[in-house]
Amino acid sequence: MKKILNRTEDYVLEMLEGLCSAHPAYFKRRGAEGRVLVRPEAPIAGKVGIVTGGGSGHLPVFTGYLGPGLLDACAVGEVFASPGVELMAEAIRAANGGAGVLRLYGNYGGDVMNFDMAGETVEFEDIRTTTVLVADDVASAGPAEREKRRGVAGMVYCFKIAGAKAATMASLEDVTAVAQKAADNCHTVGVALTPCTVPAAGRPTFTIGETEMEIGMGIHGEPGVRRGPLRTADEITGEMLKMLLADMPLKSGDRVSVLVNSLGATPLEELYICYRYVARELAAKGVDIIAPLIGRYATSMEMTGMSLTFCKLDTELEALLLAPCDCPFLRC
Amino acid sequence: MTTNSIRWAISSLKEKMDGAASELNKLDGALGDGDLGVTLSQGFRHLQDDAPNLPDDVGMALLQCAQAFTRVTASTYGTLLATGMMAAAKATRGQNAVPWTEIPQLLGAALKSMSDRGKGQLGDKTVLDALNAVRLATEGLDEPAAQVKAAIQAVDQTMADFRGHPFRRGRARIFGDKGLELDDPGMVALKRIIQSLI
Repeated sequence: MKKILNRTEDYVLEMLEGLCSAHPAYFKRRGAEGRVLVRPEAPIAGKVGIVTGGGSGHLPVFTGYLGPGLLDACAVGEVFASPGVELMAEAIRAANGGAGVLRLYGNYGGDVMNFDMAGETVEFEDIRTTTVLVADDVASAGPAEREKRRGVAGMVYCFKIAGAKAATMASLEDVTAVAQKAADNCHTVGVALTPCTVPAAGRPTFTIGETEMEIGMGIHGEPGVRRGPLRTADEITGEMLKMLLADMPLKSGDRVSVLVNSLGATPLEELYICYRYVARELAAKGVDIIAPLIGRYATSMEMTGMSLTFCKLDTELEALLLAPCDCPFLRC
Repeated sequence: MTTNSIRWAISSLKEKMDGAASELNKLDGALGDGDLGVTLSQGFRHLQDDAPNLPDDVGMALLQCAQAFTRVTASTYGTLLATGMMAAAKATRGQNAVPWTEIPQLLGAALKSMSDRGKGQLGDKTVLDALNAVRLATEGLDEPAAQVKAAIQAVDQTMADFRGHPFRRGRARIFGDKGLELDDPGMVALKRIIQSLI
C-alpha cells in the first residue's frame, strides 16, 4: 500500500479534522468522535433539512456537499463502511428545523437498513422524515429492477436539485417529490482501469491486468458487466454512451446535464477528452447539454477510471439545477 | 413485564452469552464472517452498562436498548435484533407494565419489522422462522417461565424441521447442498438468548 497517511485507524478522523479546519464556514462536527458533519447555520427554522451519509473514500461525496442550496448534515463512516444508526440519527437531529428531514443517499444495503432504523429512532422524538434512494448505476441491475441499482455519481445532481428546492422553503412532501424525480432521471455508467486500496485492508479491492479495463464497475469495486482490453477514449466513451442511451432514450430537443466524473486518479485532461466525444454525439442527436460538470465529484479513493452520468431535465429540474448553491466543491 | 424485568434479562444475558460466544462464532464462521458471537456478547455487555439508566416507560426502555445495541454492533444480526426491539418499543410506548400475555403480540410486531428490514421471508431458514415458532408457542401463556420453556422447545423443533432444507438468505445460500444439514447460526443464537432467560 502506497498512501500518504499517519495511522490507518486515524485516517477518517484526521480527514474530517482537515476538512473542517480548511472550510470552517461550511462544516462543523458533532456526534460521537465528531463523525457527523453539519452546516454551521443548521438547523434552519422552517426549512426542510436534507441529510445524507455513507462510508468515506468518495470525497466530495458525501461529506463535501453541505452548504446553502445543498445538504444540511452528513453521517460519516469509515472508508467504504456504513456510519451506523446512531450517527445517522444524530445527523437527522442536527438538520431538523421543524419542517421535517429528507434522507437522501445511495442505495446500499447496510446504509438503507441503518438509515431506516435512524428514522424510526427519531420518530420517538417527533421528527418527521422521508427517504429518497439514489439508484443510478445502470450496470448494477436492468431497467425492470431499477430499485436494486446502486447509487453512484448521480447523487450529486440529487443533492443539488433537492437542496435548491429545500432552500425555497418548500414542504417536506415537495422536496421529497422533486428529489425522487431527480433520482429517477439520473443514469450513470462507470469504467475502472485500476483498483483502489482501503487503508485498513492494506491491499487492493480487486485485481485487473495492466492492459485491461472493466465497464460497469461499482465505486467499491463491485463487479461490472464486461472486462476486456483497454480501448481508446472514444471507444470507451462510445460504449458507455450506448449503455446510457439504451437505458434512457434521448430525442431531439431533450435537455440533459452531463457529469464526466473521475473515480480518483484519472486526470481532468482525460475527462475532457471523453466529454468532447459525448458533446459531439449528443449535438448530432439534437440533445442540448445544460451546465455540464467535469471533474472529481464522486470518487473511489485512488481508482483510475471515470463515470458518465446523464440527468434528464424538465423545466422544474433545470431551474433547480441552475439555482444558486455554495460549498467548497460545487458553486453556482 | 416492567423495566426491572428488562434489567434482570440484560444482566442474565450479559453473564450467559459470553459463554456462548465462541460456539456462535464458530457456527457463523462456517457460513459467514464469524462475528455473530462477539457481536452479541459485546451488545449485551453494552446494554448492561446502560441498564441503570433505563426509564420506567417500558417502550422508552426498549428504545434505549435498541439504540445501545446499534452503537456497538454494525452486523446484520445485531441490526435485526435492534429492529425487533424498536418495534416492541413502539408498541409499548407509554406503559410502565406490559402483561406477559402480550409477548406473542410484541414478537409478531418485531417479526414483521425484521422481515421488512432484512427483506427476509418465513421459510428462508433464518432467525425469523424460529421467532415465528416462538410467537405461536407462547400464545395463551401468561407466565414467563412457561413461555421460556415453550420457546426453547419451539426453536429446537424449528431447527429440526429445517434440517435438509437449503439456506435462502445471506451469504449462507451460496453453500447450496452443503448447507442442508447445518443449523442456522441465527436460530442457534436465539436459542442461547432464550436459554439465558431462565
